[in-house]
Amino acid sequence: MPSKGVSSFVFAAGAAITLFSFNAFSDPLPPDLTYRPLPMQPFSEVKDQDEAMKPAVMQRQRDLFSKRYDLADRPMEGVMMSGGMKPVQAGVRVKLADGTTWDSLAGMKPAEIRDRGVLPEGFLPLPHVKQATGGQVFPQNQIDIIADQEHRDLRRFDVDFDLPDHLTPEFPPPIFLTTHPELGDVSRGQLLTIRNYYEFMNGIITPVQMEGLRLLLTPFPQEEFNQTEDRKVAEQSLGVACLDCHSNFHSNAAFHLTPDVRPQADRFRLDTTSLRGLFNQQIHGSKRSLRSVEDFTEFEQRTAYFNGDHVSATRKGVHLPDRPNQVAMMAQMQNIIDFPPSPKLDPFGRLDPALATEQELAGEKIFLGKGRCASCHIPQTAFMDNNMHDLKLERFYHVGKTYNDFVTLPDGPIKTFTLRGIKDSPPYLHDGRLMTLADTVEFFNLVLGTKLEQEEKDALVAYLLTL
Amino acid sequence: MYRYAIIVGIASLTATSAVAQMGNPGFWGADTKMEKPGVPAPHQTNNTDRLFAQLAAAGGKAEVEFAKMTLQKSTSKSVKGFAEMMTKDHGAANDKLRELAEAAKIPLPKDITPDHTETKKRLDGLDGRDYDIAYVKAQIVDHQKTAQLLAWEIGSGEDAQLQRFAAQTMPKVLRHLQAAQTIHAELTGAAIR
Repeated sequence: MPSKGVSSFVFAAGAAITLFSFNAFSDPLPPDLTYRPLPMQPFSEVKDQDEAMKPAVMQRQRDLFSKRYDLADRPMEGVMMSGGMKPVQAGVRVKLADGTTWDSLAGMKPAEIRDRGVLPEGFLPLPHVKQATGGQVFPQNQIDIIADQEHRDLRRFDVDFDLPDHLTPEFPPPIFLTTHPELGDVSRGQLLTIRNYYEFMNGIITPVQMEGLRLLLTPFPQEEFNQTEDRKVAEQSLGVACLDCHSNFHSNAAFHLTPDVRPQADRFRLDTTSLRGLFNQQIHGSKRSLRSVEDFTEFEQRTAYFNGDHVSATRKGVHLPDRPNQVAMMAQMQNIIDFPPSPKLDPFGRLDPALATEQELAGEKIFLGKGRCASCHIPQTAFMDNNMHDLKLERFYHVGKTYNDFVTLPDGPIKTFTLRGIKDSPPYLHDGRLMTLADTVEFFNLVLGTKLEQEEKDALVAYLLTL
Repeated sequence: MYRYAIIVGIASLTATSAVAQMGNPGFWGADTKMEKPGVPAPHQTNNTDRLFAQLAAAGGKAEVEFAKMTLQKSTSKSVKGFAEMMTKDHGAANDKLRELAEAAKIPLPKDITPDHTETKKRLDGLDGRDYDIAYVKAQIVDHQKTAQLLAWEIGSGEDAQLQRFAAQTMPKVLRHLQAAQTIHAELTGAAIR
């Protein structure tokens, strides 16, 4: 026995030395896997090719969407988003694999679903409209208003926005301030832009909030919107503003690729998150767990703007906001954006039985109990737990399959997002892979193995609408 | 009962005047006449008082004009009810404001502001539900602005009577705002607190 112990030690030591010396001689993978390469074609040539490719790019994405989802315009009767401008969409939109039902899936073990290949494709991570290029893509309503007011072009020549309008948040969304609850929505039904923010907000916010707002509305160079040949907008561009995606501090469903993963084909899609209720959030960024809104605001110039590539940023003209002045003011402004009103919730995030319906109360019971939603979405802390969790969806599918040039890999831990005002924020999950609240209920019913009855699922949706 | 009413009356008078007259002398007019040190004589105004009176008068005038237009155009019971409340409440407030402005020799505008003219033009072109929603939305914005304007006068004015007028008007304006928000929610399904 002792001699075996000694020989294991010798073997282990030998392996360590071998590894060590192997490192010294090895080549890293090619630099392009981590760093953004410089384009090797003239801009005009790239633009011509991109434009020629665009119809096929859009058709391929439409095909993927129609294979995965029912995208019909089917609003819920009498349920509007918080501004009263857009109805909330009804029903499950993820399509089932042939020969399955939601109940039959719920009755199968994850490995069985994986091996039979029957996980609904709509539950898989959603590809960017053009994975190889990636970058920010804005919805048409945002493009139109910014063109009209600022004469700034947010239209890409290589891709269009890929979601139908009725499956995105209302636009422009209302703005509620923690500092002036009595005023209600202060947006005047308009989109805040660099052209109108002062008139709308003077007399309501403080000077430092105003300066923060100005910066959040000021365009700065971005990976696809800049003045170099490496851009996807026709003219040399002033760039994009923070609130071009976070319209009125909410979301217009503009999307991007995560800055936190390489290489390009592995980067997952990101749906713009709302900034409502940021004051209660202790971690920021779906993958990064940044600890303050100041950190996040500062670092977005490296990430949302430049994909986590500070080398590329330097060449295109990065804006580095001054931490004690500009960043702090931008954070102050973001920190006064409230959730939309939810009159049926008490101060601890629980339904007031005097105001809620039977069905909503039944939904809350499931949320807190059988549905296991409140394990992470804790009502008292604004329906968050300030943690990241790994749902391990890859238990249900074989990883590594490529869809539209995007390699489907495990999501890994993702931040718990708030559910306050959730009816205003379609599509759902960090990448926007689910179109309706009913989809999210089916998704979590399967992933968490909660085996809910149809009646319970309906109650859960009714409850989510009250948040 | 009678004695109780008197006590309440005195208490509220004292409270109002104490709150309304403790301004920052750094922002009083340079030519302010003093009743006694720290207390401007009645009807002494600074720029805040004068601009407040002018903006509030123009706003009040516009509210009444919009309300009259709404009583003719709208068919919604709640929207018409709101418009009636506007005519009544703003009519009374406008009279009171005019009286105070005259006493303080503040000239008041004869016309509504360009902002309101623009809104009026927009409302003119609308009918039915579109009109009701546009009117109520405009009312929400107007009352939001008015609430901020009143708070400005309460905090920064010099003329105690105008400040008291602003303080007395504030709860009414917030009630109007809430009423407009409620009607907007009824019409559109928007969320309210």
